[in-house]
Amino acid sequence: MANRPASRSFTGVDAIIRVGIVALVLGTASIHSTLGGLLFTLNAAGYVVAAIAMIAPIALASRFRWVIRAGLIGYALTTIVGWAIQGPYYTTAYLAKATEVALIALVAIDFVRFDGNPMSVVRRELAAGLAFLRARRAGAAA
Amino acid sequence: MKRLASTLALVALAAVLAACSGTSAAPTPAPSADPDALRISSKDLTFSTDRLVALAGKAFQIVYDNQESAPHNVAIYADQGYSQKVLVEEPFSGPKVVTYSVPALDAGTYFFRCDLHTDMKGTIEVT
Repeated sequence: MANRPASRSFTGVDAIIRVGIVALVLGTASIHSTLGGLLFTLNAAGYVVAAIAMIAPIALASRFRWVIRAGLIGYALTTIVGWAIQGPYYTTAYLAKATEVALIALVAIDFVRFDGNPMSVVRRELAAGLAFLRARRAGAAA
Repeated sequence: MKRLASTLALVALAAVLAACSGTSAAPTPAPSADPDALRISSKDLTFSTDRLVALAGKAFQIVYDNQESAPHNVAIYADQGYSQKVLVEEPFSGPKVVTYSVPALDAGTYFFRCDLHTDMKGTIEVT
């Protein structure tokens, strides 16, 4: 996977993928919101927050969209693992898990299209953080 | 293009929220059940009882009235670790009444719970 620049033009395919992600997130959120109980309600609320974060036209959200993508993948994976351990295994649960697997795949595609190799992203962010610290230190010394 | 994506995503959000706000199904009439059937209901994520009593060596029915939209079931297990299934059927959304047919059981204590909300639980004393 090649490292891609963080800011590139937003294409029609990107729009379709982003809409698909939001639809899948809201789909699994809606399923969880109907199950009742604090755990499921909080899970649904987390998904709704993630959906908003994925499309929020805010500079900070755009700058760190890769964190949101990684967080969403981790959140969906945690939900799947939690269900695999505890169950129950029934039709609605299988539907929710299928939605989450599709969601992970789509977010991973979105990640690669926008951010490239995850390791390159981490290296790039570390370098940016170090440069920021150096600049502050230089400013303080001046 | 980003604005278009945001607009489409908001439309998707509105569609899902609209789908979620649909009214729940009308109550289903209770199916014909044995007059001696055990009865249990649930509301506000709580079963109406945490103890049921049945006769050993005789099949029996449990009439379960789920009075809320949250899906529940009455899953019966032979052990407190809920690993030995006796009767486990899918959770269903209410308001709806379902009759479970339980096979004849040996005397002893059995355990029931909602598999989705595991705090909802109780015992079946078979004597």
